[in-house]
Amino acid sequence: MKKSVVILIAKQFFKKTFNSKGLMALLTIFLLVLIYVTVDGWNAFEANHHTIEHHQDKARKSWEDNPDKHPHRMAHFGTFAFRTQHPLRIFDSGIESYTGNSIFLEAHRQNTANFSEASLSTGLVRFGDLNIAMLLQLILPLIIFFIGYAAISSEKESGTLKIYYTQGVTMKELLLGKSLGLFLIVALFFIPALLALWSIALVDDFHLENAAVLVRIILISICYIIFYAILCSLTIIISGRSANSNKALLSLLGGWLLFFVIIPKTSQVVGNSIYPNLSKIEFRAEVEEEVSKKGDSHDPNDPHFNKLRDSILKVYNVTDVKDLPFNYSGFLMSKGEEQTALIYNQEQDKLIKSYKNQNSITNGLVIFNPYLAIKNLSMSLSGTDFTTYVGFLNQTEKYRYKQSQYMNELQMKFISNKATTSEGKVHVVGQEYWKSAPKFEYQFLSVSKTIKNQLFAFVSLFVWFIVSCIIMIKFSNRFKII
Amino acid sequence: MYKLLIKQFFRSKTVLLAFGILMLLGILGISTGKQFLNQKQTAIEKTTEKQRKHIENQVHLHKDDIGLLLYYLKFSFINNLQPTAGIAIGQSDVNPHIQNVKILNLEGQKYDTDLVNPMRLQVGNLDLSFLIIFLFPLVIIALNFNILSEEEENGTWKMVTLQGKSTFQYLIMKLSIRLVFVSIVLAVLFILAKVILSIPFSSDFINMIIISYIYIFFWFALCFFVIILRNSSNTNAITLLTSWLVLVVFLPVLVNNYITNKYPVGEALSMTIKQRDEYHKRWDTDKQETMKKFYAHYPQFSKYKVEDKGFSWVWYYAMQQMGDDESKLERSQMYDKIEKRAELSKQIAQFFPPLQIQLSMNTIANTSLAQHVKFLNATSDFHERKRLDFYPRIFENENVNSVDWKNYKPEFFKAENNFSLIKTIIPILLLTLILLGSSLLIHFRK
Repeated sequence: MKKSVVILIAKQFFKKTFNSKGLMALLTIFLLVLIYVTVDGWNAFEANHHTIEHHQDKARKSWEDNPDKHPHRMAHFGTFAFRTQHPLRIFDSGIESYTGNSIFLEAHRQNTANFSEASLSTGLVRFGDLNIAMLLQLILPLIIFFIGYAAISSEKESGTLKIYYTQGVTMKELLLGKSLGLFLIVALFFIPALLALWSIALVDDFHLENAAVLVRIILISICYIIFYAILCSLTIIISGRSANSNKALLSLLGGWLLFFVIIPKTSQVVGNSIYPNLSKIEFRAEVEEEVSKKGDSHDPNDPHFNKLRDSILKVYNVTDVKDLPFNYSGFLMSKGEEQTALIYNQEQDKLIKSYKNQNSITNGLVIFNPYLAIKNLSMSLSGTDFTTYVGFLNQTEKYRYKQSQYMNELQMKFISNKATTSEGKVHVVGQEYWKSAPKFEYQFLSVSKTIKNQLFAFVSLFVWFIVSCIIMIKFSNRFKII
Repeated sequence: MYKLLIKQFFRSKTVLLAFGILMLLGILGISTGKQFLNQKQTAIEKTTEKQRKHIENQVHLHKDDIGLLLYYLKFSFINNLQPTAGIAIGQSDVNPHIQNVKILNLEGQKYDTDLVNPMRLQVGNLDLSFLIIFLFPLVIIALNFNILSEEEENGTWKMVTLQGKSTFQYLIMKLSIRLVFVSIVLAVLFILAKVILSIPFSSDFINMIIISYIYIFFWFALCFFVIILRNSSNTNAITLLTSWLVLVVFLPVLVNNYITNKYPVGEALSMTIKQRDEYHKRWDTDKQETMKKFYAHYPQFSKYKVEDKGFSWVWYYAMQQMGDDESKLERSQMYDKIEKRAELSKQIAQFFPPLQIQLSMNTIANTSLAQHVKFLNATSDFHERKRLDFYPRIFENENVNSVDWKNYKPEFFKAENNFSLIKTIIPILLLTLILLGSSLLIHFRK
């Protein structure tokens, strides 16, 4: 194999394609759309960032403005956690349209995350989200197929392939050269898109560690470049294997439909039917059942909590809870919270596990489907994937638990044991304690965790790349010249 | 002649492949719908059972204090999905179909979601409506793009012309075989859907069928138009696929993105904060102030006075009421935005058949956003009825046992749609006619 021949073929393909009449128009349209999508993504992100911050501040302010109050009132006053978006969602919005944006955190109640974008949208939302990744994952592959489908098959049809052959050009060189040429053409499309991605790092001032964002961006760029290398070689391989251009185009488009649309949808549907998850009503029933088994602190006749009371009375050597040195109902609630939170978390973990099982079919298929691999990698690295969202939910629950217990502690410490009601200005805690309650600070998943989660997808992408190279180099003699 | 053409048609591999894919995915799609409906049905049955147990339990726990009991009691209100929802799942997987509400502040409860895997929502459903809107056009393109160009490229076209018969008629014959084939496949799928999902032969179902067929005619007309331009097979394929990509993939995404960003619903967050604050701040503000507002809303309860000191249920429920009453402005702003989104979607969709068909299917199946808003409004009415039922009982401190709790069963929302077939199909029919007209014009000029 001569390197110079490969490069010559690549150059020739590049020049010929570059000068063809449709390409400039296609490229111009693509770039215009890219610019629109990027600018629009920026604006939407900033608007959302502003909205979330504004409401978070508003909610916090009204929390801090509470006068002296009974701490349990504060526990039910509660906090809102509004989900902040990762700046890389401008590039790939992943599942963000379908994840709740606001969650109300109060004592002994776990609420759902509400107001997802999709819940406020018409059926059009189901066609998909517009962002740079959508252009790169769905549209650009089709463009690659359109540009490259005839690369070898047309030479076959016009008989020029024989001429190459008689001049001593091997199939191997031809395949590699054409793939390289196609890749260079495609670079005209994806490099601007990756530049748009890099712009996010340059202008980012959203208090994120820039280094972390940079690592993500570098990884995303590498993944996409490999993805396109795979697609370009596959296009050329299929063009070489097909009897004529017509068939090459049909196979490529059929492949697109199968790999980019049908398999992803079907695998998720199959996952859901194999591993159905509990509906909310069943979920709540499970939690309630567990609670009533282990003891319900809201039930005055509950044996578990009565036993607890008796033992406390014994330790303090008193006969009535009113004589205890701390507020007993605060104590009771803290124990109840501990218990229900534990049960809830177990059930929640089970639920997340069943979601994960549902996704496992798709995640397993990344080895067979490079589109699924790039899709998962792209959204994970952009902080808009399922695991990131689960991280958000877990953090809100942790925060909720801490805050409820903080209020219970205040109650135990400062509220008289003889208090019977939270009404009025009698049994209260000073408002300075509201300010000293920590704010909810959402932390994105670390890059290393993301990489660990998506290791399989990384590996799959590499495997595909190597396999397509091997096909071109080792099996080139299987390609027919006529 | 027809016989021969039909024979030729069925000999091609594409046909078998197309048929196989459509049937396979069709059955998968219908069973997805079936499974979805079953899951919803199970949840409904469990809800009925659960509500009975829940009331029994709570009544037992709080038999001395009806005010406290109603603090805990939840009542279910159910949006029973129609069987057609199995064809067009629409937004009904995103939005919950069961509401469990206490007579407390409703706005804090109404928007709770069901438990759904967001990954699944993002990937979307593979229901029959998706198949019709997304895949059928592709099959139509695959069957038609080269019916003329292929003959030209293989040199058989000259023979056809030589045979003397009208070439135009020949083309129409070829096209009609494909149209009949696709129509039969679609009919089979609809029959399967009818049987598997047990859909009654209602006007809703027939409307769905009609708009699906019109959508398919539209794609045939588009193919016809491109074929008549008499380009090479490859050019035809690329032209048709690009139109498909733009119409079915790109434009819908663009339109949705435009609508979402044009009307961001930040009011949802303002509303949710407001409803919390308005209830909670009443614990620390003048009781009579709260009561004044409450009596203004419900003059019939103004006889229940509240002391300045001490706790009373009248005051408590009045405070809760304030959460709903005082967040009205934010709420109406939020609904206003949602309505604007729906309105704009509808307007834009008129010009683009795939969007139009998707929204119409959802409307017919009562799985649209507008339908969910109706359900939310009906939930408010349901909640109000419960309030009006229990407020006097609580304020009078009625005996818990004087209420016949067995009567409190989940209630069902009666969904109705205002789907107008004529309005929906006129734009698509018009587009189809324009395409056919211009095809004829082009053909006879040549």
